[in-house]
Amino acid sequence: MGAILEIKHVSKFFGGLAANSDVSFDMTEGMIMGLIGPNGAGKTTLFNCITGYYPPSRGEVLFKGMKMNGLEPNKVCKLGMARTWQKVRPLAKMSVLDNVMVGALCRTNSLKVARDIAMEQLKVVRMDKKADFLAGGLPIGERKKLEVARVLATKPVLLLLDEVMGGLNPAESEEIIQLILEIKKAGVTQMVIEHDMKAIMRISDRIVVLNSGEKLAEGNPQEIVTNQAVIDAYLGSEH
Amino acid sequence: MRTLLKKLSDNRGISPVTICLWIVVLAGLAVFPKFVDSPYALHIMILLFLSTIMGESWNILGGYTGQYSVGHAAYFGVGAYTTMMLMQYKQIPPWYGMWVGAAVVVVVALVIGSICFRLRGPYFVLASIAVAEILRLVAMNLKDFTNGAEGILATEIPPFKIGETVVTDFLSKVPFYYIGLVFAVVTIIVTVLVQHSKLGYYFQAIREDQDAAHSLGINLAFHKNVALLFSAVLTSMAGSFYAIYIGFIDPPTVLALDISVQIVLICIIGGIGTIYGPVVGSLVLVPLSEALRSNLIAQGIFKLGLASEESAVGIFLKEHLAHAHALIYGILVVVVILFMPDGVLGFVKKLFTARKRENA
Ligand SMILES: Nc1ncnc2c1ncn2[C@@H]1O[C@H](COP(=O)(O)OP(=O)(O)O)[C@@H](O)[C@H]1O
Ligand SMILES: [Mg+2]
Repeated sequence: MGAILEIKHVSKFFGGLAANSDVSFDMTEGMIMGLIGPNGAGKTTLFNCITGYYPPSRGEVLFKGMKMNGLEPNKVCKLGMARTWQKVRPLAKMSVLDNVMVGALCRTNSLKVARDIAMEQLKVVRMDKKADFLAGGLPIGERKKLEVARVLATKPVLLLLDEVMGGLNPAESEEIIQLILEIKKAGVTQMVIEHDMKAIMRISDRIVVLNSGEKLAEGNPQEIVTNQAVIDAYLGSEH
Repeated sequence: MRTLLKKLSDNRGISPVTICLWIVVLAGLAVFPKFVDSPYALHIMILLFLSTIMGESWNILGGYTGQYSVGHAAYFGVGAYTTMMLMQYKQIPPWYGMWVGAAVVVVVALVIGSICFRLRGPYFVLASIAVAEILRLVAMNLKDFTNGAEGILATEIPPFKIGETVVTDFLSKVPFYYIGLVFAVVTIIVTVLVQHSKLGYYFQAIREDQDAAHSLGINLAFHKNVALLFSAVLTSMAGSFYAIYIGFIDPPTVLALDISVQIVLICIIGGIGTIYGPVVGSLVLVPLSEALRSNLIAQGIFKLGLASEESAVGIFLKEHLAHAHALIYGILVVVVILFMPDGVLGFVKKLFTARKRENA
């Protein structure tokens, strides 16, 4: 199976700060890649470079073998790569259903079809009862789920989830974990940024560790927990 | 009939009650000139229609798409000038001229869009003001072309004929009343159709969060320009209508910042991003501006005995209140923003839902 996403020597500079420096790794179809690292390690920046929010300063990103550099986010989404935002971005004055419909309209021009897709996705995240609520009034747990339902409605083949469990209680987190596993079963490749190590170990097939913008380690969960450099970085930053 | 109503409401999310209300109001407006022949009453109604058209047009770009243009005088003025100049200098009747005006406005809007949509938030607002001001200055200074500050007076409007029968010669206000009414209704219908379409969803997504919209597959530049074109073309039609109805235009009356601000106020006061907001805004602003113009407010104050006409205060009020448009509008906007952030319409809706909850 070929790589669905190839990240080649990606660097991103903000002034003098290297938020990503020379990051490279591949993802194969159907896998879940965990992306971890301390706060400020450059995880969100890497998502931004991959999805065209801004182009990488150096290096390139290949999606299904296509060069993505400089491609705008809307085109990236149309090609089948979708992302959620760490700081959720609900369309506040629109209903929950309308939020998800906006995602669904990426693949159809018919409002009716979009409404059906959206209802389906809301059922997937168990929010169909909240369809008529205003998105702006939801509690954080439901905003995160809405964020996921909305990107799923764009029918991605590669999904990038940026801390969708951040700020959730254990029950809600468990719900999201199950959701991620369901999405995997449906054949969608995923890259997941998460701080909860237990969760990331459970769901990931492979893990990439970023530290100060650089790739510190890559391997399967077992290799990562026993990697001395990773242990040092985490002990160094959190204790 | 019932199935037709049901079909309409199913497809567009419009309730049968709304449709019936529409029919009643439209019927009332259609027969209004048969019962009221006061030219002044007709004039006020025409101004209401005009204001509604302008508000609804701006609303598509500002209210639904969230791009707060304060330069809509550009489209109003270019429409007005094109139609007027074609009629006066080339003897082209306005019902053709207005389409030329709309075409010119399409070009102007695309140029303005390509400049202003590079910017977001307050920078977009400032750019939209600047571009419209440039157009005003051009119209002031190109004397040979636009007659500069002297403006253009319509000497005569050709009669509108179908075949050889004269439908109207535009000598009374009645034809303008009906044209304005049809126009206002068309603008509202366009807004409803846009709101309940893919475009409408995309416009609102852009308003709520541009980056989120972008990442969900929405081409920002394209959709902002589409919203602008809808908005600008409808505004140019309002400009053409104004020019022919009033019969005189000059840069201060059709291209000035005042016009742009007034267009925005119609929506802010009524309720931004709602179908009926601009109608409500017009119902507030048109009577208010007429009251100011004819010094009704000062007279009201005298009648109520709040100040005597001969006192120093009275003389001051009489002299200055009529020219205090800007001040009074300013106060009104502050009050609306402080106490009714969703406009008068939003405020009334909230009152109703609060009452319903109490009753429940
Ligand atoms: N737009 C930006 N401008 C300047 N610095 C930024 C910007 N975005 C991120 N950074 C910086 O880049 C570094 C990495 O940030 P980020 O990718 O958000 O980290 P993470 O998601 O791993 O917590 C941080 O030091 C952050 O302050
Ligand atoms: Mg982050």
